[in-house]
Amino acid sequence: MKTPPFKFHRPKSIEEAVSIASELKNSGDSFDWISGGTDLLPNYKWHINTKKHVISLANIDEMKTHESYHIGAMVSLHELEHGPTHPLIRKAAGTIASTLIRRSGTVGGNLCLDTRCFWFNQTEDWRRSIDWCHKCDCDTNADCRVIPNQNTLCVATYQGDLAPCMMVLGAKIHLAGPEGQRSLKLDEFYALDGMKRNVLELGEFVTHITLPIESDELEGDYQKLRLRESWDFPEAGVAASWKRNDRGIEQLYVATTACESIPRLHMEETSVALNEWNGKESAKKLAENIRKTVKPVNNTYFPPAYRRKMLRVLTKRALAGSWSD
Amino acid sequence: MSKGYRQAPGKGEKKRTDGKRIAGKQHFGVPGSGGSNPFSNLQDIDRIPASQGGQLKQPRGPHVHDPHITGQTIGKPTPLVDSRWKVTGQAEYGDDIRLPNELFGKILRSPHHYARIISIDTSAAESLPGVKAVATGMDSVNRFGVLPVTKDEHAMAQEKVRHVGDLVACVAADSEEAAIEALSLIKVEYEVLEAIHDMEDGLLDSKDPIHDRGKYHIGDSNVQKRVFQQFGHTDAMRKAKFQSKSDWSFAGLHHGFTEPHAVVAHWDPNGRLQLYTPQQVPHYVHRALSSVLDIPMHQINVIRTFVGGGFGGKSDPFPHEMCAAILSRKSGRPVRINFDREEVYWINRGRHPSRIQMEVFADEEGRIAGIETDALIDGGGFASFGHVTTYYNGVLHTSPYEIGGFHYTGARVWTNKPASGAMRGHGAVNSRCAVEVAIDEVCEEMGVDPMTFRLANLLPPHSRTITGFRITSTGMRECLDEVRKQSGWDDKFRKLPFGRGIGVGCGFFISGSGLPIHWDPENFPHAAVHLQCDMDGGVTVHTGAADIGQGSDTAVAQAVSEVLALPLDMIRIRSKESDTAPVDLGSYSSRVTFMNCNAAIRAAIEMREKVLKAAWEITGYHPDSLVLGDRRIYYKRDPAIGISWLEAVHKAQADTGSLISSGAYRTPPMGGVHKGAAAGLAPAYSFSAYVAEVEVDPETGFVRIIKAWAAHDCGKALNPLAVEGQIIGSCHMGMGQVLSEEMRYGRTGHLLNPDLLDYKIMSVHEMPEVVPIIVESNDPEGPFGAKEAGEGPLLPILPAVVNAIYDAIGVRINELPVSPDRLHSRIEKKCRKMKIDDPMDLPNPIFEPKPLQEKLSKRADEHTERDLQRDLLKDRSAYVNGVLFGFDPDLPLSEQSEGWRESVTPTPEDLADDSKRAARAWNHVERRHRGENA
Repeated sequence: MKTPPFKFHRPKSIEEAVSIASELKNSGDSFDWISGGTDLLPNYKWHINTKKHVISLANIDEMKTHESYHIGAMVSLHELEHGPTHPLIRKAAGTIASTLIRRSGTVGGNLCLDTRCFWFNQTEDWRRSIDWCHKCDCDTNADCRVIPNQNTLCVATYQGDLAPCMMVLGAKIHLAGPEGQRSLKLDEFYALDGMKRNVLELGEFVTHITLPIESDELEGDYQKLRLRESWDFPEAGVAASWKRNDRGIEQLYVATTACESIPRLHMEETSVALNEWNGKESAKKLAENIRKTVKPVNNTYFPPAYRRKMLRVLTKRALAGSWSD
Repeated sequence: MSKGYRQAPGKGEKKRTDGKRIAGKQHFGVPGSGGSNPFSNLQDIDRIPASQGGQLKQPRGPHVHDPHITGQTIGKPTPLVDSRWKVTGQAEYGDDIRLPNELFGKILRSPHHYARIISIDTSAAESLPGVKAVATGMDSVNRFGVLPVTKDEHAMAQEKVRHVGDLVACVAADSEEAAIEALSLIKVEYEVLEAIHDMEDGLLDSKDPIHDRGKYHIGDSNVQKRVFQQFGHTDAMRKAKFQSKSDWSFAGLHHGFTEPHAVVAHWDPNGRLQLYTPQQVPHYVHRALSSVLDIPMHQINVIRTFVGGGFGGKSDPFPHEMCAAILSRKSGRPVRINFDREEVYWINRGRHPSRIQMEVFADEEGRIAGIETDALIDGGGFASFGHVTTYYNGVLHTSPYEIGGFHYTGARVWTNKPASGAMRGHGAVNSRCAVEVAIDEVCEEMGVDPMTFRLANLLPPHSRTITGFRITSTGMRECLDEVRKQSGWDDKFRKLPFGRGIGVGCGFFISGSGLPIHWDPENFPHAAVHLQCDMDGGVTVHTGAADIGQGSDTAVAQAVSEVLALPLDMIRIRSKESDTAPVDLGSYSSRVTFMNCNAAIRAAIEMREKVLKAAWEITGYHPDSLVLGDRRIYYKRDPAIGISWLEAVHKAQADTGSLISSGAYRTPPMGGVHKGAAAGLAPAYSFSAYVAEVEVDPETGFVRIIKAWAAHDCGKALNPLAVEGQIIGSCHMGMGQVLSEEMRYGRTGHLLNPDLLDYKIMSVHEMPEVVPIIVESNDPEGPFGAKEAGEGPLLPILPAVVNAIYDAIGVRINELPVSPDRLHSRIEKKCRKMKIDDPMDLPNPIFEPKPLQEKLSKRADEHTERDLQRDLLKDRSAYVNGVLFGFDPDLPLSEQSEGWRESVTPTPEDLADDSKRAARAWNHVERRHRGENA
């Protein structure tokens, strides 16, 4: 196992990073961003979609800002866990992978996590034995191995924990790139297809996340499914947040992760539930609706049918705090 | 003979006023020799057996090695002698070996499950700059394999590749990059053949069987080995009142050791091969290299490096070891091959994926009327240890219980997967889990406590199992008693709230296999140890026993240190090189402590005699009246009279020129005469009983083990620290198998998880508290009474957890691992069956004792007394399996009952039940019996 050689760039500011990216883009050279490296480097070791250039964001101090409503992309997951942000985010951060990975992995990296699949996250020899796959076809135009005979969509699974939690708190994501800076709501950041993953254009990267001040009024919970309490990626995850009033709750958000190629905020289902909210029973119904909406495929550790059923249980458990004290 | 002389006594702690000396309580003014303390230490009377005048109590009577207990190390928690090397990072594992000028070796592997190689073109690879050698199957055509009867491996593929990852070619180059590039330049043309992935398909005739066994080939199938055994009253057994029938499926497992395989081969200037490899059985590698390379064994030196975990996964001679040697011979330079993790999974040799049909029968007396087992095991692409595994799946669950009948059909098939082999608890784990859970089910049906049922059906000490294994010591009853007491069983069984449960399981394992794998020439000892003592007084031990982290170096050092009364730092172990080590058959089948320590004790006794003879000449006192204390030899009746160890050693050297000794061990003659009687035969057996308490989440199917009480009978804990470590480690491994570990093959037959992220070994979060309980049954033939403690402790945890899951939520599962999704689907099924919506509403199982409970309880008490009498040898009558059923142990059982059978060749009636899978292997006729010319 040997990482293929690449040229390593270490910009000190966002501007410098953008200019390096623009140059490489214009010269047609391929490149990747790297922050903590806990996702990218294992893939490189396995020769998965490696690039000739890698630009590190680790030396850009302005991306390490860490305040209650402003989280720089280069804040480590460990810092996030012990930082000043919303307790829901801190809770979720503390469950990601393992202590060692959290020390190195970052917020930006977790949000931009590459999608995963049994047929993709394998060594080169292994992938050769299945004649490659759509997501890493090594110029063979290979078919998808999860759902064969369709050559358009990659169904690899997004297995990040932070995205759903930030979504239910109304987070905004801020990007920088050769075309300037832009901001959008986090749930608009993700774009279907396991290869495309999100709206980032070539040369664009995440600089920071902001949370609305009103997120303070939201309570929430995050529930995840995984076999071991350490290391494992989530096999299903449900984040929920709600705002209490004297009659019960007046706002409700639920987002799911680790079941599809992107994390998803379920606005339709929650607004229906909120209209007729009566606590436990509504939560149960909502959980069932979420199970129906989300459609995992067979490419992670647990079988998809089980993961769907567990979404129901996780949703119920994530909402449990909304009717009891 | 010179006259003895007196040494001034040192400061005694207490002075007696009656003029007599306190035995062993004197400090000696004269320096001892060696050790961190130059002065002799007081003898620890608490560690000298009562039979020798000390205070060590032996509830089961004296042991033959008692006279050699000096109180030095045996029974003391002792850190492993090589532990400092490891914790300071200075231990050299396979990957740490660096030889000057060495090359990087890389292996080209098959991308196909099953294919015929049409051609290989290596010319482009050979001409790549930096490439020094390229080798293919053409470079060595000789077969090898760990078992002499099933040599079916080659250094590289000869004609066919048999699984994804099978070796095709290899290259050696100046740099790793060049080697990797060279692999991509080797052009191989394949003709893809139809692969077999499901083990049941292996039972059928095939156009292209994965191997050809010549005249021994079974039909045209992929059956590699089939076993039939029928003992006892199988007809009566099937008519028994209580029956449990289950069909188990066990996923394949990998050992998950930390260190990936790594090997360095070097042909030294004298033309001898030096091979550095982390191996459990260096001797078999030695033999295999000799035949693969076509050179005599004396031209090979196998050097075992530190081994970063083996668990059975490093006990085959491996093709990559051959490749390194071949590349080194071709290039004239040292060649190193290091594995990546997925290569480790491709070479595999882990636990067999198995499908086991298990039936347990019990009669109205609460006796086990019989066990009927059918085990189909998936061997993957090669034989490895499979021949033995096929037997072990049957014979290793014929004890610790007395049974009325035993019917076993077993078969191992080849499939196009990485080869299965030996893994901790070899062959015994899966069927043990099935039988223990079946016993739980039968107890449920009978309305008796499974703890009582087990206690009322145990074989006593000094008895024989139904297939003729000789049981010497057994601490089974004490193990059960201890876990029952410590876990609070009586207050918890079927009484815990819903979602919480407790379960029990037992285990039985060999302590060294009775027949060595290589029994040619027949009279080889199993183990030999040489001792050498020079001017400095320290003793160098030469042994071939492979320390794979289990602590065999420590055990053998302890044995020598104990007999010679020397501190451990005066014992130096040399166990790494075949050049200097006497042949030892290696670290498998839990044989090392039993066999190697026995050999070491013999060698040490011989040295002791020589030293005492020298002391006799100096002191004038006969050896019989001399005692070895810490680095001192003194007169039994007046400890002040004596000489130091060093003085005696110098005298012995002056007299004889050198002070050396050696000892060997071979097993006593034992066992039956039927075909396969040797499989599972051991000079002693270990026993264990575990209780596990679990918490089950009925909504998600997650199981959390809260605590485990683990009692293991290891005969005598030579090093309690190591025994406890083995028990806890075994629990971790067994819990992994029962809850999460599996080699998972996808719909295309590819191994989906050849990495440590998706091969789910339990993390520290999942690991519960394990209470290790050491039970000492003082085996009459074990070294100082010891038996194995490395593999047996793994067995009981699996059934204990499965039984606890039932106790928690009333759901039976017979598929391992019990991953949450599997258990969840069982829970759903049960809910549907009971028409319950919410799994939280499932009924909590309850226990209502029936009259039989009291009867069994009484019988258990009687048997306790019976076992005690036999233990103390007050009752020396013969006892064989069957006495509980009213047989006379002194007459052949078949003469006492018409229905009693002992057969290893099936009749058509024996195979009538066509639902049995492995039994179908007997539908084929061996080629030699079909009148064809193979």
